[in-house]
Amino acid sequence: MYRGREGQWAFFLHRITGVALALYLLLHVFDISLVMYGPDGPFNAFLIFYHQWPFRIGLVLIIAGVVYHGLNGLRIILMDFTGWGVRYQRLMWYGVLGMTTVIGIPVLIKILPEIFGGA
Amino acid sequence: MAARPKTLKEARATYHTNSELAWWVFMRVSGFFLVFLVFAHVFFNNIVTNAGTIDYTYVAERLARPSVKVFDSFLLGFALLHGVNGLRYSIEDYFRRPGARFWAKTILFTVAGLIFVVGVMTLWAYTFQEMGDAVRNLTPSH
Repeated sequence: MYRGREGQWAFFLHRITGVALALYLLLHVFDISLVMYGPDGPFNAFLIFYHQWPFRIGLVLIIAGVVYHGLNGLRIILMDFTGWGVRYQRLMWYGVLGMTTVIGIPVLIKILPEIFGGA
Repeated sequence: MAARPKTLKEARATYHTNSELAWWVFMRVSGFFLVFLVFAHVFFNNIVTNAGTIDYTYVAERLARPSVKVFDSFLLGFALLHGVNGLRYSIEDYFRRPGARFWAKTILFTVAGLIFVVGVMTLWAYTFQEMGDAVRNLTPSH
């Protein structure tokens, strides 16, 4: 396997989070659209199904993907449209990972007790 | 496809059609706005709210608000175009046989088109019940 440097990992993570988010988006628009069947339609049954813990863990991963993909996207914009972006791309990638962690920890502290606290 | 261009100048030199260059620019412009749109969406529905308590009443109340309709319309439009174009890039990168590539893209665009219509209906149009009633009312007698 080709072992690239940070830029290759940045691309790889951007690609798999992007594909995951796009597929999630299609499913998400579909399941929210079930609201059109009204209060007695299948919407609540669908949501209760998705409130089970494996799906809620999946949603936490989707949020992590959103944060990484968004921040790394800003890094790509800076690389593409400024004169200095490419020079600092590696440093900015570590910044992206750092900020993803900094944002992710309070999100986990908020959401994990909701999933496992029985509340 | 080889590595994607890394600067606007490289992009201009690489893409021989205006549409590919336009998509390259669109991914960056829409991506910039999506950072704010999606982060706000996730914040309101996962941090302010306990996502495990979301039910019909919560969603219906949200979708009834004009501000949410407008916000979510921008979200739907930008996210679908950005996401589907990203999936198209992925298909072009990993599906090497022309036949497989054609069918993968055909299925993708069909599904995305249907999801877009369903999303717009959810935000703006009638419920299925109301639409069904409207269609039934077109025919005078049953």
